Amino acid sequence: MKHLSDQELMRIVQAGDYSPAAEIYDRYSGRIYNFAFRFLRNSEAAEDATQEVFVKMLKHANQFHGDAKLSTWLFSITANWCRDYLRKADNKSKESEDVLISLPASSEHSPDRNLEQRENEQRVRRALESLTAEQREAILLSRYQGLSYAEIAQIAGCSEGAVKTRVFRAMETLKKTLMGETRGGDRCLNVVQ
Amino acid sequence: MSECSAMRESMPLLLTESLDATRREQTLQHIENCALCVSEWAGYQETWSLMADLPEVEVPARVRTQFLSKAGIAPANVVPFRSRPAFKWLAQAAAVAAIAGGSYFLGDYNAPRIQQTAATIDGVRPADDIRMVSTSPVSIAETRVLNAAAISPEIQGRPNIKNVQFVDGDATDNEIGVSFDITSRWTVTGNPKDKSMVRLLSYMLENEESMTPRSTAMDWVRRTYSDPANAEPEIANALAKVLRNDAHEGVRIRAVETLTNLPSAVGTQTRDALIQALKDDPNPAVRLKAVEALAQMTASGTVLDPAMVDTLRQKAFQDDENTYVRVKAAEALSNIKPR
Repeated sequence: MKHLSDQELMRIVQAGDYSPAAEIYDRYSGRIYNFAFRFLRNSEAAEDATQEVFVKMLKHANQFHGDAKLSTWLFSITANWCRDYLRKADNKSKESEDVLISLPASSEHSPDRNLEQRENEQRVRRALESLTAEQREAILLSRYQGLSYAEIAQIAGCSEGAVKTRVFRAMETLKKTLMGETRGGDRCLNVVQ
Repeated sequence: MSECSAMRESMPLLLTESLDATRREQTLQHIENCALCVSEWAGYQETWSLMADLPEVEVPARVRTQFLSKAGIAPANVVPFRSRPAFKWLAQAAAVAAIAGGSYFLGDYNAPRIQQTAATIDGVRPADDIRMVSTSPVSIAETRVLNAAAISPEIQGRPNIKNVQFVDGDATDNEIGVSFDITSRWTVTGNPKDKSMVRLLSYMLENEESMTPRSTAMDWVRRTYSDPANAEPEIANALAKVLRNDAHEGVRIRAVETLTNLPSAVGTQTRDALIQALKDDPNPAVRLKAVEALAQMTASGTVLDPAMVDTLRQKAFQDDENTYVRVKAAEALSNIKPR
C-alpha cells in the first residue's frame, strides 16, 4: 500500500474496500491529531477528533473528489469537528456553571529539550490560547501544517482575503504577547536549579 | 492607510511566502529603508521562529487501534509485536518449540488423544549467548511451514497443541500437512538489572492486553525496582509511557504510585511523567495523584525546573481545575525553597 498515492488509496476505499485505512491513517494521523490538539487544547477531544475524522473519511469516501488534495479534505473534516466541539462546549458552559475543561497542549519533556525550549513552548501555547478560534485555526493550518491561504479558505469556508486577515490579526496578537513577554514580563520564578 | 500600515499587513504574508513577486520586492525594499518597519519585521520573524518551539506530540497508540476496530479492520485487542534485540533469544526459543512440537506431533499423530499438558523445552540459550545469533528480524508470533523430513524432535513432556487441521492440497503428490497452534510457557530468570529482564518487564508494562496482569506487573516492579540498587531508567520510561497512554485510570494511578516509589536515580523521568500527567491527564483522580506526588517530592527537597514550576503555578490558579488539584499544586509550590 505504501507505494500507492493518496488518490489511488481513496479509489480503493471508494470501491468499498477499507484495507487502505491503516495506511491513510499512518500518513495523516499525526498531522490531524496535532492540529486538533493545538486547536482544542484538550488531548481527549483531540483523540476523539482523530478517530472520528478517519471514520468519516471511510463513511463518506464518495464525497472526496480525486482532483482535490486528501490532506485538505481531511483537515476540512477535522476543522468542522473541532468547531462543533467548541460550539457544544461553549453552549454547555453557558447552560451551567461547568466550564469546559481546557487542558493545555502536551509538551514533550524529553531530556534533550532544554529549559529555554520548554519555556518557549509554554509561552507559545499561552499566546495561541489568547487568539479567537478562527484566528487560531488559520494560523495553525498556515504555520504548522504549511497549507496555502487558498486551502485554508476552502477548509474554513471563507474567502482567501478573510484568511489573510485572520492570519495577520493572529500574528499581530502573537507578536504582542510573545515579544511583550520577552521585553520584561513576569518571568521571575523562585526555582532552585 | 499609510505606506507603513500597508507594508505591515504584508509582513505575515511575507513569512508564509504568500506574496507575489512584485509585492514581495516592494515590501522588502520598504523594510530596508524604514527604521520602524525594520523593528516590526524583526518582531514578526522572531515570533514566527518562536512558534517552532511548540513540539509535535505523538498520537497515542490506542487511537489507531480503536479506529481500525471501529472500521472493522482489526480487532481492538491486537497489539503489533515489534521485534527488539532483547527478544531475539525468546524468538529463537519459540522457533525451537515450534520445530520440536511439530516433529513430535508429526511422529505421533495417530495417538488416540492429545494430552493437554505443559511442555518443558530444553535448549533455551542464556541471554549472553544471544548476541552471537543471527540479527535478522524475527517474530514470536510467526507462522512457519516446515518440512517433516528436515526436523527432529528435541523435547520432554507434551506441548500444548490446539486448532489442529489436516491439509492435503494435492492428493496425487503423496504429501500430507498438519497445521496447529502451539502454546508454551516460559520462565525467564535473571538479575533485575539484566537488560533482557528490564526490557521484558518494560514490554509487559506497556503491552500486556489485560488490565489485571498490567497492575500485577506494576506491583512487582514497584517491589523490585524501588530498591536503589536496582534503579533502572528504562523501567521509569515504561511507567511514564503507561501513565501517558493507558486507557484505564486505575492503571495510570498505579503507575504514578510506582513512579513515586522509584529511587531518585531515575528522578528526571519520574518528574517529567508526573508533570505531564498533571497537565494532560483527562481524569482528575490521576492529576490529583500526580500533583500529590509532586508535592511530596518538593517537600523532600526535590528540585524542579522552571517549566515544571510554571505548570504547578498554572494549575494552582486554573479556575476550572479540580479544587484538590489546585490546593495540592499550591502546596507543592510552597514547598519550593528559594535559592
